[in-house]
Amino acid sequence: MISLLEKLEQLDRPPAPDPLAAPAAGSLVLHCVLFSSLLLYGMLNGFFHHIMWGNPGAGGAIQVSLVSNVLPLPAEQVNENVLTTDTPSQAPAEPTPKTKEAVDEKAIPISGKMVKPQQKTAPKTQKNQPQPRDNRAQYGEQAGSIMPRSAQAMGGSNGPVSVTNGDFGSRFGWYVEVIKRKVDQNWYRAEVDPRTPRGATAQVYFKVSRQGVPSNFKINNSSGSPTLDLSCERATQRVDTFGALPAGSNDQWLDVTYDCAY
Amino acid sequence: MKTFSRLLPLSLLVLICLAASQLPAQDWVHTGTNLGNDRIRIAAADFRPLGSDPQNPALKTVFDATLFGDLSNAGIFDLVSKSLAPQETPGSPQEIRLTQWSDAPANAAMVAFGSLSAGNGRLIVYGWLFDTRNTANPQVLGKQYNEDASPDSARTIAHRFADEIILRLGGGINGIAETKIYFVSSRTGTKEIWAMDYDGQNQHQITHLGSISLSPRVSPDNSRLAFASLGNAGWSIRMYSLELNRPVGFSAGTAGGSNQSPAWSADGSRIAFSSSRTGDPEIWVADASGANLRRLTNFRGPDVSPTWNPRTNAQIAWVSGRTGLPQIYTMDQDGANIQRMTDGGYAISPSWAPNGQFLTFSWNRKYGPGDPGGQDIYVMDIASKRWLQVTHESGSNDFPSWAPDGRHIVFERAIGGHTQIWSMLADGTGQQQLTHTGNNFMPNWSWK
Repeated sequence: MISLLEKLEQLDRPPAPDPLAAPAAGSLVLHCVLFSSLLLYGMLNGFFHHIMWGNPGAGGAIQVSLVSNVLPLPAEQVNENVLTTDTPSQAPAEPTPKTKEAVDEKAIPISGKMVKPQQKTAPKTQKNQPQPRDNRAQYGEQAGSIMPRSAQAMGGSNGPVSVTNGDFGSRFGWYVEVIKRKVDQNWYRAEVDPRTPRGATAQVYFKVSRQGVPSNFKINNSSGSPTLDLSCERATQRVDTFGALPAGSNDQWLDVTYDCAY
Repeated sequence: MKTFSRLLPLSLLVLICLAASQLPAQDWVHTGTNLGNDRIRIAAADFRPLGSDPQNPALKTVFDATLFGDLSNAGIFDLVSKSLAPQETPGSPQEIRLTQWSDAPANAAMVAFGSLSAGNGRLIVYGWLFDTRNTANPQVLGKQYNEDASPDSARTIAHRFADEIILRLGGGINGIAETKIYFVSSRTGTKEIWAMDYDGQNQHQITHLGSISLSPRVSPDNSRLAFASLGNAGWSIRMYSLELNRPVGFSAGTAGGSNQSPAWSADGSRIAFSSSRTGDPEIWVADASGANLRRLTNFRGPDVSPTWNPRTNAQIAWVSGRTGLPQIYTMDQDGANIQRMTDGGYAISPSWAPNGQFLTFSWNRKYGPGDPGGQDIYVMDIASKRWLQVTHESGSNDFPSWAPDGRHIVFERAIGGHTQIWSMLADGTGQQQLTHTGNNFMPNWSWK
């Protein structure tokens, strides 16, 4: 009992203060030491850092060597279709044809048996079927188009080339030059009214015969200036001959349009 | 403030200079489709000699020089000089590489090439003309010639090949490389008729009359030569056959008075000339045989030097002194529709261009005492009567005569007492002296 009373008395008394100063100081010192050691470690690491990756020493970096370019790499799949996706869809499988019921051709029809007539139903058609609008693009996947990409090789560099009409200018450029030069030489610009605007162009048409004689002169496109039109027509009329058409040409005559640009 | 105002102009100047140095240089190119006519740039390759005939080098030299000269004289080509042409001598179409000729420095649009071989007294020449810019169909012309192996033949073949090229590229107008020029020369002591090639080569004497012969005019078919000659009966029109190589008769030209300056019609059927058988020099016309003589002009004052319009064969231009000093007139072949072409001065010696559009004549526009002018060659457009002076400040020029291609004119030029024959392009460029021996006068270019 006494001991109980002593304990109670002890509880009633204000407790004695804990000795905090020493542990606090010790904790502070410990933290200071920790921080300073971290700092010191960082500083020492910064000063004496050593490179671990990519240093020129052997065995540091990853070495890459080129492989041969003849590896059988898969060819790139080129899809020329602009509207396609990256994953071309497979064409749907063809529907399996419906098997007809086997008809035994050898079977003898039973006399008197009524065959049920098959009803032929006319396909239902709608009057005034709506037409698809023309201005709508036909979207959707389509098969890749195959176009010839290379010119057809001729049978040899000196092989005969069959040339059809319509290419006189490319085959006989020198003759076209002769026409240009001779008409220009015979065009007297002094005949043109000086009030004609610069750049006005008259176009005359004429026909050159196989012998090289021009005929059938007419104004093809008027320049708006009568004097320019007339001078251009006169220039062509002054030419007696352009010389016979080239021997390689099969044309019976040559149609010529000539521009006179003032 | 004073310093600032003093430095302001200087700093502005520096700024302007800096700005100017920063500006890019401005190029200005003016070009167009109708600013003059470019000539065709053509290269004449040296022909390849085939075989080892000892005549080959000499013939090749003559051939190459003649072809080059003909093409450069044609007036329609810009010829690639030999120093710019490739060194190779392609002898056949298989050997030529067109890019060599079409690229710089040759830049040729056309190239003439071929081969030449002498053997067994014959000269065989293959010639081609290729368009260098048309590699698919380059051939414009291909020719083969076979003549006697002599320098004259080599020159003739070169003339023919050049004429073919000029015919094709010149627009159907025959070249003049095979034409002749007839003229008067006093190199033997008397004035006789001579002939030469168009380039002055091969000069040779035609007549040997020992008298004075003037005004040679060759017929359109090159068979006869009409000229004025001084004989016992005075001046008469005489005829010389170039086929027979002897004088032949022309009765209409021997009547009394002075008969001068004959002129052939374009079809060769008639001759116009000046005759003073009625007392006054007038224009007369007779058939080439001498028949059907009739007078065209009848006016006081001399009428001389007729020339036919070669295109229409229906007009005559001539010189008339009816108003004092000689002037150029035109009339129809029956004497009607007389028009005066020149407005003054001293105009003589008309020659009608082959295309009928132009007259060329000798004109002293400032004639008279105290007004010394030059006697020069002029070209006149007949329709508009506009004229162009084609010779300037170089001697006294007279007797122009058109070449059959209408691009060249031959004329007589007197400088310091020496008279020689010259030729030029019809615009006055490309003048060259053709004769150098003695004195030579009154040239006449053959019709073909």
